[in-house]
Amino acid sequence: MKQFEFFGKQVSRRQLLTGTAALGSVLVAGGLTGCGGNAQASGPRDIGFWHLLSGGDGIKMQAMINRANQANPGVKVQPTVLAWGPPYYTKLAMASAGGRPPEVAIMHASRVPGYAPGGLIDPWDLDLLAEHGVTGDNFAPRIWEKSQQNGKLFSIALDSHPFVMFYNTDIAGKAGVLGSNGQLQEVTSPQEFMAMAREMQKVTQAHGLSFGYLGSGSQMWRLFYTLYKQHGADIELIPGQPMKVDRDAAIESLEFMASLFDDTIAAKAGDISTGIAEFARGGSGMLFSGVWELPTLKKAGLPVDAATLPTLYGTPAAYADSHSFVLPRQLNVDEAKRRDVYKFVSDVLKGSISWAEAGHIPAYQPVVQSHAYRDLTPQIHYANAADIIAYDPEAWFSGSGSDWQTYFAENVQNVLLGRDKAAAGWDAFERRTNTLLSRPNPV
Amino acid sequence: MSSSLASRRSTGQPDIATATPPQPPRRPSQSRTRSNLSGWGFATPFLVFFLVFLVWPILYGIYMSLTGKSLTGANDSLIGFANYAEALADADMWRSLGNTLYFTVISTVPLVLVALVMAALLNVGLPAQWLWRLSYFAPYLLASTVVSLFFTWMYNPQLGLINDSLSKLGIPKVAWLNDPNVAMWAIVIATLWWTVGFNFLLYMAAMQTIPAQHYEAASLDGAGAWRQFFSITLPQLTPTTVMIVLLQILASMKIFDQVYQMTAGGPGGSTRPVVQYIFETGFTGYRLGYSAAISYIFFGLIVLISVMQFAVTRRRRA
Repeated sequence: MKQFEFFGKQVSRRQLLTGTAALGSVLVAGGLTGCGGNAQASGPRDIGFWHLLSGGDGIKMQAMINRANQANPGVKVQPTVLAWGPPYYTKLAMASAGGRPPEVAIMHASRVPGYAPGGLIDPWDLDLLAEHGVTGDNFAPRIWEKSQQNGKLFSIALDSHPFVMFYNTDIAGKAGVLGSNGQLQEVTSPQEFMAMAREMQKVTQAHGLSFGYLGSGSQMWRLFYTLYKQHGADIELIPGQPMKVDRDAAIESLEFMASLFDDTIAAKAGDISTGIAEFARGGSGMLFSGVWELPTLKKAGLPVDAATLPTLYGTPAAYADSHSFVLPRQLNVDEAKRRDVYKFVSDVLKGSISWAEAGHIPAYQPVVQSHAYRDLTPQIHYANAADIIAYDPEAWFSGSGSDWQTYFAENVQNVLLGRDKAAAGWDAFERRTNTLLSRPNPV
Repeated sequence: MSSSLASRRSTGQPDIATATPPQPPRRPSQSRTRSNLSGWGFATPFLVFFLVFLVWPILYGIYMSLTGKSLTGANDSLIGFANYAEALADADMWRSLGNTLYFTVISTVPLVLVALVMAALLNVGLPAQWLWRLSYFAPYLLASTVVSLFFTWMYNPQLGLINDSLSKLGIPKVAWLNDPNVAMWAIVIATLWWTVGFNFLLYMAAMQTIPAQHYEAASLDGAGAWRQFFSITLPQLTPTTVMIVLLQILASMKIFDQVYQMTAGGPGGSTRPVVQYIFETGFTGYRLGYSAAISYIFFGLIVLISVMQFAVTRRRRA
């Protein structure tokens, strides 16, 4: 029998193998029962913070976290950045359901109704918040109201980020559509808007407007919902009942959207990145997009200004959402850490002027009313959006990056591509929504 | 035991035990216990993983499919077969299942045929073999995200390489990933480029085991290259083909990554495979119980296809 030397002793091959196998079993069993010690080194308390800000605003957020950490040496906020949309919300819901979520997280305000009734997040303590100088008076009424669920504060808005219109002042000037104040002339009907876009197209020789939407339910929904809300109409989603909606307003909005993609006003088929790229290289005079695109456009060196979308159907409205702080439900709440979270959130709110630089409208009013914010252009030109913002209709399945927006795209993209009638696309989406409303509510 | 009996019968040798001198006693029970123990020791790591990560999830999944369990933890009471009844009446489930089967059919055929053609081309003895092998197999090594990104850019209707090339030839632009009639084919093309290398490798290996004497004999008999291919190569490759087809069907049925990254199931749900529908109902729609029920319907379908495939190949062999 072959012999091996092992720590100076002769060991047979069989003995060696038996020992290895036994050791393997012990390691596996140990690993599965979880021998991870809970020992914590002394030092600053770690606060887990999940968010989904990975672009230019992600850099701003990291700078805000660094500042908060410097101001509170006893606490270290540790961010985890996850991909926007389903990957983020899926993981957050699973971590909360499993009782091991981060101490604080960012959610879109429109997604909170899908989390709060199910007990995945905890309400904020208003008294504790007030100790840090944050109260309801510090927020625009529309935003503060959105933060509540069943009379409790479930989210604290950091911002509102509306869907707006960027425009190239050089092109607009050459097209003769600038007012005496140097900003875009007011238009009040779909026809006037289309005429203005055609004037810009004559300058660019390509398109008047850039709007990328292919494959993106979020993009299609943002423009649609802005136009729909400008009709003064609402959508109500009540489980067990068919969707309540103004069908005529919906179809009119879709028809107007489809009429834009005629390869003169806007490209017939383009996705988000091609839309932004076209505007950034001067291929169009206007861009419909979210405010978060501002750092990219400024970096491109464009003579860019911005405004809320013109009111084409009588009622000013802008689709928007808010990045909001939430408290994912812990299995065991560490009171000290929770107090640290209140301090961190209030510090970030008070320092949100740097968040405004990323394009967002701060939710914390003392920042909005500061001189520093008033000097920010073009941010100040769309600051009025905070008063006219339209959040998604509330339901467990609606909100930013939700499947509902994907279902919207599934039924409406062909309408925008001119392959389907607006009424047919809308009715199919309504049927899909009614199926969701008829199913058991999992929250 | 039976094999030693059989060998004894066939060789007509006397019983070995009686022919050899008696051995000293070896304390058989203790030795067997020890060898049993070390046997279990070796098997335990695998067994533990098998039980924890396969058997238990399968059983728990079946239980879950009979409940109204939600990702938020709400309502995990037993509701019988209600989820299955709902799934069987769910048009979206059938549509996504149909998409999966459609993809399986239109991807399996080219993935097998192209691999065969590539292997055959190489087998005739092109120079710089390593270069061909590398270029055929290299895409397989890429991650699905990388491949999806490549093709999403190439398929871009405005800026993409493919439409740009088409327009230079005077062919109108195609909305590759945005036309419901084209999107699935666009995904098949990307999948073909990405994964055909694996089937190619299997065919290549199988072709090299065919004895050269067969071809020599055939050419002496006056058989040309085509005749040799159809009368020697193809029949000799039958077991390999059966295996490749089976593996390919199973791989294609599990399609998810490329679709999720290239079209997210669109346009208009025309490319959404059933695995994505399971993911959506369970993880973004929170309905774990319902999602589990759809998984088991899909699982049943895969088992059915595998059994059919097995039956067909067994009949062919018999």
